[in-house]
Amino acid sequence: MFRDVLSRRALLASAPAAAALAPPGVTVIDCHAHLHHHSNARWRELDKALIDAADKLGIDQLCCSILTPARPSGPEQFRECNRWVAEAMERFPRRVLGYCYVNPGYTREAVAELRHWVLDRGFMGVKLYNEYFADEAAVFPLIEAAIELRVPVLQHAGHGHAHTFRDSQPRISDGGHLARLAARYPEAMLICAHLGGGGDWEWTIKALRHARSVYVDTSGSVTDNGLIELALRVCGPDRVLFGCDMSMTAGVGKVRAAEMSDAVRAQILGGNMQRILQRRNRLA
Amino acid sequence: MTIDLNAYLGHFAFRRLPQSTGPELIRLMDRRRIDKAAVSSASAITYRNTQPGNDDVAAEARAHADRLIPFAVINPSYAGWLDDLKECHERYGMRGVRLYPMWHGYRLTDGVCRELVDAAAERKMLISIPIRVEDPRQRSWLVSVPDTPFDDVAALVRARPAARFALVNGTGYAGSVLGKADSGLPANYVIDIALLTAVIQNEIGQLLTNLGPDRLVFGTGMPFLYPDPALLKLDVLDAPEPAKAKIRGENAARLLSR
Repeated sequence: MFRDVLSRRALLASAPAAAALAPPGVTVIDCHAHLHHHSNARWRELDKALIDAADKLGIDQLCCSILTPARPSGPEQFRECNRWVAEAMERFPRRVLGYCYVNPGYTREAVAELRHWVLDRGFMGVKLYNEYFADEAAVFPLIEAAIELRVPVLQHAGHGHAHTFRDSQPRISDGGHLARLAARYPEAMLICAHLGGGGDWEWTIKALRHARSVYVDTSGSVTDNGLIELALRVCGPDRVLFGCDMSMTAGVGKVRAAEMSDAVRAQILGGNMQRILQRRNRLA
Repeated sequence: MTIDLNAYLGHFAFRRLPQSTGPELIRLMDRRRIDKAAVSSASAITYRNTQPGNDDVAAEARAHADRLIPFAVINPSYAGWLDDLKECHERYGMRGVRLYPMWHGYRLTDGVCRELVDAAAERKMLISIPIRVEDPRQRSWLVSVPDTPFDDVAALVRARPAARFALVNGTGYAGSVLGKADSGLPANYVIDIALLTAVIQNEIGQLLTNLGPDRLVFGTGMPFLYPDPALLKLDVLDAPEPAKAKIRGENAARLLSR
């Protein structure tokens, strides 16, 4: 599977950004990306622009979900999003990997949706947004399904001070919620989304220090100097995943900038995510 | 030549900044092949009296005069600002001023701010306006400082057509009067790329179309921010090389040479 991707990347190696990003032989995987909802009249153009940007920046694969513009979403709405992701996986083979987006409040439908897309169509994970805190009981059946299916859970997250997030997203999860969820389900592969877009990243990293089964994703528009180094120091290189969340040059630039060895950069850019994906492949 | 019009020295009140000294910043610039950087005091953003921050930057810049271009942080609502401006320009050789209206308790539309702009313009200093300091989602519980309003910026650049402005650390210009081709605003301001996108929505491309290549400048936001995202933007930007050269340094060199 990866041979095609690597040869493709070799063709792009003359691009300065691609050459500078990854050590040779590394498959670069953006663990947090989105395709565009089809209510956006420009969705085709914007999805293509995402792939073009990945080409320019040396990103081999993008783990994508589509969210509903209005939330909380109902079953029909999240099913539609997941169908569109599946279509994009066909349109961009080996470039787009699919997260199944669901609202945990619809327990039966959400679990069925996840099982369908992972088992029948090769989706690689589940994306949860802010309908529930990560450690609420409504979420537990989905976590148990993800454990059974051996797929990761990408949890939208953020921690601000003085109501930065709480007013607009009253049930946004933070590192504390994820740490508690991890304590209940230590075998789950949990990803705390966008350190670079989730408010006080120093707080989040410190909150997750002891939650050893939780990965942190570096995505988001914030490119604060020192963010990656603190994540590596506190969480360790095995738990840091490269991502952009559509902030493409920000996502790539901060991983390129941060001080680390080539081996660690290879882990972050793709090695850790490949290890996660291989667990599902072994199940298949 | 690569010239960064958006760089800083010193401590910041709410987060420890790596590479915040002159020698550290120079080493970072060397590694990233950034030739020169316009630097101002990060500490002065929250100092009541900003001049000690300017003193510190002047001392650091003096030791690296070929690389660091010192800018003064001046608060026109604070006593003695005109004396500070005079000292920064005449004694320290500072080439520009940085304004933090939302942090320092005034508006760009206030008369006292226009007095400062007039005084700086008379000295041919570039007036740099950081639209924000940090991403607002991570702000401290102690402060709530909104971005500098684009409408205030537009009113100022319109009112002072002979002054020259550099707007840094902003985003969303393309949808505002500052980024429109037919805004009627004078072409007396440039915009740095630190927080702009170069792909997908591609705000840099939109601004190139709307304003032209003379109106964009390279800026990193270092050491608050990593420098690489801004450098990457120039790598991947779909624009002719002459336009990229203007952004990379030619426009800034022109502004700083006057």
